[in-house]
Order: sequence, then structure tokens, then C-alpha cells
Amino acid sequence: MTTLTTISGLIQEVIGEDWDLEEEITLETTFSEDLELESIEFVALAEKMQNTFGDDVDFVNWLSEKELDEVIDLKVGDVVEFIDACRT
Amino acid sequence: MPHVAANDQELHFQLLGERGEGDTPCVFAHGLLIDNLSSWYFGAAPVVATAREAICYDLRGHGLSSHAAEGYDVATGAADLVALLDALELNEVDLAGQSFGALIALRVALDHPDRVRRIVLCEAPLPPSRLEEMAGVLRADPGELLAMLPDSLQEAFTSGKRRALKAARRLERLLTETSLVADLQAEGDLPDEVLQGVKQQTLLLYGEASSCRGVGDRLAELIPNARLEALDGGHYLAAERAKDVGALILEFLDG
Repeated sequence: MTTLTTISGLIQEVIGEDWDLEEEITLETTFSEDLELESIEFVALAEKMQNTFGDDVDFVNWLSEKELDEVIDLKVGDVVEFIDACRT
Repeated sequence: MPHVAANDQELHFQLLGERGEGDTPCVFAHGLLIDNLSSWYFGAAPVVATAREAICYDLRGHGLSSHAAEGYDVATGAADLVALLDALELNEVDLAGQSFGALIALRVALDHPDRVRRIVLCEAPLPPSRLEEMAGVLRADPGELLAMLPDSLQEAFTSGKRRALKAARRLERLLTETSLVADLQAEGDLPDEVLQGVKQQTLLLYGEASSCRGVGDRLAELIPNARLEALDGGHYLAAERAKDVGALILEFLDG
């Protein structure tokens, strides 16, 4: 399974019953504008990613180095790239 | 999602960083209504967690904690926090709070000097009902509350899409289906002699543009071992100036 497929699954788990996105999640999908992810949902997603990918993926620390507008503009592809880099 | 049973609530919490030998963990309490642990979790807490364990939790009725109908007063919030410390077997902690969370941290520090080493009070409003940003809350008017928010926070409530609708629903519930408004109205001030009795080293963080900036001066004068840092920003300082707040807290806790 690719990192993108795994993350897409985790995002759907977090959004749960509210899920109404008709288009597939791609590397270009943005968390804020496209997915409308709430910050508390982002916390839940970070935890799921940690559980899935292990402690080598310090997502919160990575995010904490970014400015707020960078976080708002984050794409799924940015996270995929970060996770893949952590695991190689 | 980790939850802990505390004071008849299911409180959601998140651990960041690692606890070194002899380190005191720092517990972060957020503000009311529009806030939850994410403002600390994605803000100052990871900065602090580079050197010590940081524990963020959702207050009752907020974030992923249980939806209590009542208990939105400082005393109950303090009892929740003490119960959380007990459940997580934390004997000694540092406490950091934003706005109402700062009042909770202060209450726990006053009542449990043996368990609280240092405190960080970020924008503690005393009394909370006098805070201009609370005027809309006390009239249970979500529109007025939102109009007082900085642009960066307002956006999250006003897009009209999924996230904004969820946030507005949550706000509506807290304002109209819980005792929160009545609890806030009933919350009194702390007398000078109580504040003079704070035992802990205290860091006071206030926004220069905040309506409760003056409270910072009062606390700095009364709390025996307090240091005041006034930053550019408003009441929602922990979110607005997250990285700077994190660096100041880290320096204070390590000093």
C-alpha cells in the first residue's frame, strides 16, 4: 500500500460520518480548503499517523516548525513526502 | 485517542516529548468555547516538548472530551485537572494555562502547592466576566463572540462549510445547552491577599492589545515571585504568538 493510500484511509477515519468528499484524495488535496479538517481532527490524524508509521515520524514536531499560514496551505502530498523521507 | 476517566468526565489528552530523569512534566490547559487542546498542541507545547514532557488536555465540553452539561466554573475545572493528574500518576507538575485555563492552573497552584512547581498564566482574565472579549458570551450571542476574534481565528467559523458548521454547532451547544454562561457570570475575582499567597514562581504572559492587559500588572504586583512579559498581540495570545510563547515558557521552566 502506498503512503498516499494509507493516509487517505486515516483521513477518512478521522472525518468519519461527516465524510462527503466525492473526489478521491490526491497529493494535491489541501487539508484546510479541500478537506475542511478541523484543528482537533488534525490532532487525531497526527496520532493515527504516529501509530501507523511509528515514532520515526514526528509529525507534531515537523508541524511545530512551520508558520501558521504554511500549515493552513498544507497538501496531502507534503505529508506523504515528509513521511517517506522519515522512513528512508 | 487517549482518554482518562477524571471527576466523572472522559478527558482527552495528548502527550508530547519525553520525560527525562528528574524532569517535571508541564500540563497545558486551554481557553473556553472556541478553544481546545490543539492551540497548545500545534503551538507552544511542541516547543516545550523539545526539552521536557508536555501534556495537553481538553477541558470538559471541549475538543474530544465528554460533553458535560455543567461544571464550567473554575473550581470544577480545577477538580478535573487534579483528577487528571491523579489518573496519570503525576505527582509534581508545572502548569500552563491560556485565559480560563490560566484561572484553572492558578486555582490548582493555590490549592496544591505541594504538587505544582511553577505556573505560566497566559492572559488570565480576572474576573472573567469583565473581559471585553466575553461580552458576547455573557449575552449568549455567538455572532458577537466571533466578531471579537482575530481574523486568523474568525476564518474557521465563517466559511459556511463543514468545518465552520461544526465549530458553530459546538459553540451553540456550549452557549445554550450548558451552564457555561451562568457559571462564568457567577465567577468572582480573587482577592489581593489570595494572590499574595501564590507560592510558585509564576510567568505572566499578556498581549499588549488585550482587554485584560491590566490584569497582568495587578498579578505581577501581587504574586510574590512573578515575572511579566507583555507581547504584541491580543487575548488569544497562546495561538497568535505560539512560537514566542513556547520559547518563553521553555526558558522559564528551565531557569
